[in-house]
Amino acid sequence: MSRDAGPPFEERFLETFSNAVGVSGGEETVRAAVVEAIQDHVDSLEVDAMGSLVARIAATGRRRGPHVMLCAHMDEVGVMVTGIESDGRLRFRKVGGIDSRILVGQVFRIGKNGLRGVAGTLPPHLISRADRDKVAAIEDLYLDIGAKSREEAQGRVAVGDYATFDTTYERWGDTRKGKAFDDRAGCAVLASVVLRRPPVPVTAVWSVQEEVGLRGAAGAARRVAPDLAVVLEGTASGEAPGLAPEESAPLMGAGPALTVQDRSLMADARLVDLIERTARRRKIPTQWKRPGVGGTDAGRIALSGAGVPAAVISVPCRYIHAPAAYLDIRDARRTVALVWHLLHSLTKEWP
Amino acid sequence: MLRADERSTTEWLQHLSALPGTPGHERAAAREVEKAFSLYADRVERDRVGNVRAWIDGVGAPPRPRALLAAHMDRIGFLVKAVEPGGYLRLTELGGFDPRTLLGKEVVIHSKPPIAAVFGTRPPHLQKPGESERVLPVEELYLDSGRPEREVRRKVPVGTPVTLRQPPVSLLGGRIAAPAMDDRAGLVVLLRTLETLRQNRPAWDVIAVATVEEEFAAVCLGAKTATESLDPQLGIAIDVSHGDMPGAREGETVPLGGGPSLCVGGNIHPKVVEGLRSSARALGMTVQIEGCPMGSSTDAMDIQIAREGVPTAVIGIPCRYMHTGIETVEPRDVDHCAHLLAHYLGALPEEWRATEVLK
Repeated sequence: MSRDAGPPFEERFLETFSNAVGVSGGEETVRAAVVEAIQDHVDSLEVDAMGSLVARIAATGRRRGPHVMLCAHMDEVGVMVTGIESDGRLRFRKVGGIDSRILVGQVFRIGKNGLRGVAGTLPPHLISRADRDKVAAIEDLYLDIGAKSREEAQGRVAVGDYATFDTTYERWGDTRKGKAFDDRAGCAVLASVVLRRPPVPVTAVWSVQEEVGLRGAAGAARRVAPDLAVVLEGTASGEAPGLAPEESAPLMGAGPALTVQDRSLMADARLVDLIERTARRRKIPTQWKRPGVGGTDAGRIALSGAGVPAAVISVPCRYIHAPAAYLDIRDARRTVALVWHLLHSLTKEWP
Repeated sequence: MLRADERSTTEWLQHLSALPGTPGHERAAAREVEKAFSLYADRVERDRVGNVRAWIDGVGAPPRPRALLAAHMDRIGFLVKAVEPGGYLRLTELGGFDPRTLLGKEVVIHSKPPIAAVFGTRPPHLQKPGESERVLPVEELYLDSGRPEREVRRKVPVGTPVTLRQPPVSLLGGRIAAPAMDDRAGLVVLLRTLETLRQNRPAWDVIAVATVEEEFAAVCLGAKTATESLDPQLGIAIDVSHGDMPGAREGETVPLGGGPSLCVGGNIHPKVVEGLRSSARALGMTVQIEGCPMGSSTDAMDIQIAREGVPTAVIGIPCRYMHTGIETVEPRDVDHCAHLLAHYLGALPEEWRATEVLK
């Protein structure tokens, strides 16, 4: 067993990536931030046909091992401007899975320049009693940017502009608060890992369009053609008042979450076993993500070409797909360590 | 650094709307309001319930009649009702937030020192079918501060006030959205009015009062007690009015940028409205009339029925999305309300009284 503790988790990456805007299909700003973070540490760097970022890093020395694809998605859920009304308000639709109830009354950053807009609603005083208990349909919501006419709005926004929650990264004890931890947490873990030359050949992929159907990872996996893949995620913790721990797993602060199965993937059992044994050997606490929930790029990658053994390691996050998510910084550190030691295990124990 | 007396209306709105102050916990806001009023008033004092009163001495012969101006200092919020296992907090409301607008919002828990938290949400991945179709009442919402339960229990006793944590947002056309425009925008109207009256002194004494506890219970404590102790011959409340919004029925809102709104109805003395309208005409300013059949739901409700009864009016600042985190006003409307009020008070004859002696 090597004494190497592995590279540290670079929190500055998480902060920068979380604050950057990158709704599915508009990931350019996040991609630029990732490039900035890693370009001096990788051997090649490409943007593929869909916009995913592909970085190759040769292994150290003469050690041999499988070609590993590590993947985290850059995109986040948000909304897109779909129309501008004559009175200057903007119509919008969701990009990715969002509970409509969190949209009303929120502040949004719209378009490249981050123009602020608010999702307005009639106050309860002005709506009928029956409608007060109804969730507003997305078709009835709008963004108010202060414009009084279509002409005034058109100078500042265009149909197709993306908008995201106006949330700023913060440190509260071990807790970190920010938007888009799904999956900027994974993006930051991946960028931290590749700062150090790995023991096996690694291709790191920061993918696009995960939130709209796991679309970006398909082409990237085909291009990379790895021997195996590990997807790095910020996954949903179900913690809430009154729920037993077994109902709310994975728990924030209890270590990286491992996936056995979700709606997109049967994780490769040999790979999951190796991850678990590596964690135990390194005394890194892990927990199981509840099977049957969610889906990740790993589901796509597993189907690529002749098939790719794939697994998922996640940082548990509360309140993903909402304006302000939480994660425990210790979980992010442990995830980097686990990935790093997994790469070492792979030199000896794969296939 | 900008001197306080050089702050623009926009800057005052940003400054005052950011202050805490749920009903009964207005002291931190009161300190800032005192500082602000002191820039323009002859005297500033805090009364026994916590109202901040700013005096402009009139130029009429003593004993001079008094006009009371009221804008409330408190803002809607919550109190911590219980700390649950896991450190989650349950809340009780102070003033009526629209519960449809709270999920996922950040808040400040006013512990010592204050800490931030969010209203917890269940991610779509984990929801049961149909779960997102149900509006959650405040009793079912919870706060998560992201801190260990032990720390939460130590720092956050039951009864700790909670406010929305949303810095003011600048929109196009100079509009500003913030959680406490109701009624911090009214405080800025008072401030701008004092500024004018100090230069152009009225015949009457004018007392601008930043009141406490307008948003709590049936009686506006601050407005009622201030009226009892100051014995004014006229009372005017400055508060926000529902601004025009998509989907609102005609006649229920007033356009932003359309100038002050004036309530009419039983809570309002017709002679005062008449005077305000004639001041608007003299200033070439448009005003909007708002029918209030069951009263104005402002400090004017309790000013009117204090002592032997006081003639009242309400000047409304058009405000969108009331009782949410994005209450939106246009600074120009705030300025117009202040111009109108200062002009009206400046033009009040010394001998003006609403009471009539018929025989």
